Amino acid sequence: MRTLVDWLDERLQIREIKVALFDRKIPKGVGWIYTLGSLSLGIFLLQSVTGILLAMNYSPSPQFAYESVSYITHQVTLGNIVRGLHKWGASAMVLIVTLHMIRVYFMGSYKYPRELSWVVGVFIWLIVMGFGFTGYLLPWDQKGYWATMVGTTIAEQAPLVGPALAKLLRGGDTLGTVTLTRFYAIHVLVLPALVLTLIALHLFFVVRQGISAPPERDKPDGPHA
Amino acid sequence: MLEPWKQKVRQRYDELKKLGKPFFPYIIFKDTLVIFLAFLVIFYLAAAVGANLEEVANPTDTTYNPRPEWYFLFLFQALKFFPGSLEAVAAIILPAMAILFLVILPFIDRGPKRHPLDRPFFTVLGVVALVGLVSLTIMGMEAPMLNPVIHRDPQVMAGYQLYGQLHCNYCHSIQGRGGNAAPDLGTVGARHDRDWLTRHFRDPNQVTPGSVMPQLNLLPEEIDQLVTYLETLGKSEPFTAAAPKLFSENCGACHVIDGNGGEAGPDLTAIRTYRDKAYLADYIQSPQQHNPETAMPGFKGVLTDRQVEDLSRYILSTQRHHH
Amino acid sequence: MDPENSRRDFLKKSIFLLGGLMAVGVAVPGGTYFLSPLWRKGEEGWLELGEISKILPGEPVKVDYAQRRRDGWATIEEKSSAWVVTDDGKKFTVFDPHCTHLGCPYHWDTAKKKFLCPCHNATFGMDGQVISGPPPRPLDQFTTKVVGGKLLIKPRSGGA
Repeated sequence: MRTLVDWLDERLQIREIKVALFDRKIPKGVGWIYTLGSLSLGIFLLQSVTGILLAMNYSPSPQFAYESVSYITHQVTLGNIVRGLHKWGASAMVLIVTLHMIRVYFMGSYKYPRELSWVVGVFIWLIVMGFGFTGYLLPWDQKGYWATMVGTTIAEQAPLVGPALAKLLRGGDTLGTVTLTRFYAIHVLVLPALVLTLIALHLFFVVRQGISAPPERDKPDGPHA
Repeated sequence: MLEPWKQKVRQRYDELKKLGKPFFPYIIFKDTLVIFLAFLVIFYLAAAVGANLEEVANPTDTTYNPRPEWYFLFLFQALKFFPGSLEAVAAIILPAMAILFLVILPFIDRGPKRHPLDRPFFTVLGVVALVGLVSLTIMGMEAPMLNPVIHRDPQVMAGYQLYGQLHCNYCHSIQGRGGNAAPDLGTVGARHDRDWLTRHFRDPNQVTPGSVMPQLNLLPEEIDQLVTYLETLGKSEPFTAAAPKLFSENCGACHVIDGNGGEAGPDLTAIRTYRDKAYLADYIQSPQQHNPETAMPGFKGVLTDRQVEDLSRYILSTQRHHH
Repeated sequence: MDPENSRRDFLKKSIFLLGGLMAVGVAVPGGTYFLSPLWRKGEEGWLELGEISKILPGEPVKVDYAQRRRDGWATIEEKSSAWVVTDDGKKFTVFDPHCTHLGCPYHWDTAKKKFLCPCHNATFGMDGQVISGPPPRPLDQFTTKVVGGKLLIKPRSGGA
């Protein structure tokens, strides 16, 4: 083990990476509420694993989508657990990412020098909502179908671009076969690619700049204590 | 050169960092513990509650109550407060502006002040927005379902769908709808028992010599579903003359049969195509056991078992009339 | 060991313990789900090939049949066939219609009185034994039974 680490270190200087990632100091006062970001990442990993497993037994067509989800739920061993994890993981993801955002908002952590972390974070939050919106159509049950009907009709209300937007979302004039495959492709290909990129960027910022210290009351001579 | 306040921010951060502890293991421990606890909750919910699967999407359904997932409820609820002409404002323009605000927030709210009490405007704005979102979500959750909810027996629904997929209606009819090359199936459940129907589906010719019905090679569970469906169509047992009166006195205020009755609950005409007698009788006695959200009172203790049986038979005898 | 060091040590161990527990917690249901095809049983119903009176002794007869079965979440109706051989009209041997070499469909050559596989010129006798060519084993057989004058077979689940 040690020799392998040495061998890699001679070539890639991995100990430097370890020092930069793990030995870096975290400012005093960082408490439990700062774990929300890592928690989001943890749930994201859970969603990735369960999502890949679900995709193995899912068929994105109106003819078979419902049957395949029912197959996962009733026929595949522990399929109901994997589906349950993905569903509750989704709710947890929305909740935790939102709480993380609320924490950053009230602590003013988006301020200099972390403006870009915030902007990237807002887009991650939007993508998480997009995962939710595209995800619950996939079982092709009443809830998903009608929620998507309402959702795409809302998009239709947008000034000027509305009708075009709704048509793009649905892949046509009506909600049907093409909508389902589009939502599936967006849910399992487009959004994961986008969110992975943004998460990488977000983490890079955090490691590079360090996590923000807890806010301190403004003193007459500036933020100095 | 950095502006002086930015230099101060950096200096102070470096000071606090020196006082702090390494990421590993101190911070990672907290992260791991919190993730672990969250996973416990998620695993518990996955195992105990699971993931619900409603009935298959039905674009022609006019009685469904569409409800989004909880995290979109605020938007869904907000639309109720805007008249149709202003719907675009609530549905698109306000959310779009909120997102835009969030994106550009660090460029509006600048400077060294980070403590919530030093930024009263943004703190109050945040609190107001949060209270708004949370109360909209709660209102959305508590909004009553306008359409009464009917829970259908999945076996019967599956049988009903198979009936369509196999094109049974090319030859058979149910209550006057379908082909006339073969017997009407609306009352077949009354004429034959489960065993006969099952054997007939397996091999029509053996049960009814000379039958021209093709052997469909159906799977045992498919036969089960079809038989269950046909049974709910045909079975009606005799009920007493008191039953219709029982209905109008106890049920008629909320339920319709054959066009008469109140509209607070579901129309029960032809309910037998969805449910069997055992279920119905049990539902009449303790509805909350089957549907915790129902506002229907239970009739256990109010009606005798005999009356419940009579009432169930009567309700199940009704059928939709096609004109 | 000074208290700070033992604290560090405790935290490290906790991280690996909790991390390990979570990994196992995801891997067990996930792995079970992923591996479930291994112990999933195939459909094992009897299939009807037809009336035995129509199968005459002597030449092998090819019987086509439709099989309705569950394929994952779909119910499909697929057409398949089998070669039926009988000497006396009472005992039947039913062969899987695929050559045991590479799965090509073979046929009965009436002139040569052999089963002939067109892919690699393999030949089998009427009893299914290899006469010539590369097949590693005799033709695969289905389990059969006769009920009420009808011949039934039990297709094997999975490949041979």
